[in-house]
Amino acid sequence: MIARSILRAALAAALVSLPGMAQAQFPNIGGLVKGVQNVKKLGDSLRKIPEPEEIKIGGDLASIILGAAPLVQDAEKQRYVNRVGRWLAMHSDRPDLPWQFGIVETDDVNAFSMPGGYVLISRGMFDQMRNEAELAGVLAHEIAHVAKKDHLGALQGSLRNAALGDFTEYVGGNGGIGGAFKAALISAGKDMFTRGLNHDDEYDADRMGVVIAARSGYSPYGLVGVLQTLSAAPEEKGYALMNKTHPLPVDRIERLDRAMGTKFDTVIAVVEDLPSFVALRAAPAPAAAKSTPARAPARSRPRRRN
Amino acid sequence: MRRCAAILLAAVLLCRVTSAEAAEKGQILRAGDLLAQPFIDAAKAGPVTANQPVTILERRGAWASVESNGTKGWVRLLNLRLEAGAARPGASRPGMASLRTGSSGRTATTGIKGMDEEDIRNATPDYQELELLGTLAVTADDARATAQKAALKENTVAYLDKGRSRK
Repeated sequence: MIARSILRAALAAALVSLPGMAQAQFPNIGGLVKGVQNVKKLGDSLRKIPEPEEIKIGGDLASIILGAAPLVQDAEKQRYVNRVGRWLAMHSDRPDLPWQFGIVETDDVNAFSMPGGYVLISRGMFDQMRNEAELAGVLAHEIAHVAKKDHLGALQGSLRNAALGDFTEYVGGNGGIGGAFKAALISAGKDMFTRGLNHDDEYDADRMGVVIAARSGYSPYGLVGVLQTLSAAPEEKGYALMNKTHPLPVDRIERLDRAMGTKFDTVIAVVEDLPSFVALRAAPAPAAAKSTPARAPARSRPRRRN
Repeated sequence: MRRCAAILLAAVLLCRVTSAEAAEKGQILRAGDLLAQPFIDAAKAGPVTANQPVTILERRGAWASVESNGTKGWVRLLNLRLEAGAARPGASRPGMASLRTGSSGRTATTGIKGMDEEDIRNATPDYQELELLGTLAVTADDARATAQKAALKENTVAYLDKGRSRK
């Protein structure tokens, strides 16, 4: 451990002493090299990483959730959620990210997002929706987390210890994320998904989400409807992780009430529901089989029963 | 066996149909008046007290139409709490066995598929699924065209500050 610390210090020293050389080779790493000069500030630099790196980090984190629950095999439904999601994201502060949305196959009620524009919601959550405005509310809440870079902030604590030594790989590997950094990132991602973001980030994402929904033409009260559903949900395992990682739904409703007041009463060009949602909600199960997206050959996926 | 499955399927489908019309139960949070219309300055339709049980008939934006003790009227959605412990009617409840028809035929299967903390801890990143996710994404133009077809209107709305407590 001590030896490793010394090695890290040596690597850091080497980098610090050679910033000019490193920069000559990789012109965009000035900020990263600068970050190495101060370990404590390293985490903060995560929020400032270039967009391609942010998207790469997001992909690695999304693959964790996809490893726990695969995509629902219904291309029509997936395409639909992408259209709604992308439209919402176009009304956020980061409209041009390569947004990707997906419904993952699990009965549990939850939704996740990752840096760079990844949003995954569970089928259990999708099935709870009363209308498209509720779906929009959940997606917009997740989009807000991405727009605010909440994940990068949350990851910084976990990565602080691991990242220094691996910055050499990060810098040296043609801008790619080195293996050790990636292992640390996966571990930090699992921490983030199981511990959640901080509660203030959740309240802020609620407030931003209802605005994104309203800007996109959806009732901003869709998210309120979902939170009401969650507040009345029975204490079952299917809600456990989401409850652990979020403030109480009643507290979120109360904060939204405070923030929204009657401000949206004049925003009347909004819809509650659309035929597209109604059609998918009522679609008989067998129809799904026809539009199954191409999937890689059968992989044995050991699935633990809860 | 096949007949059982058919009956079960019929029952599930029937549930779906009726649940759409099934009313939700809730309670009033703050005492006040029900209104005759879903507008802040609409005529009063009758008083309600805190914790008064109501049946929710319809949701419309910031408002919900409710009925209580024979009186119907509109109340702010944010002045309602849903009856605790009751799953939303019609929604499939997580953790419950669900009926699915597999692609191979009319085989009814029940399965409980959760994703809890341990599942995430033990997950191996799946890059094949990530690739598949990428193929399902749509362009901004596609999303805009779909929104226009659905006649979704864009609104100019400022971000919200935290606001003040009612208390």
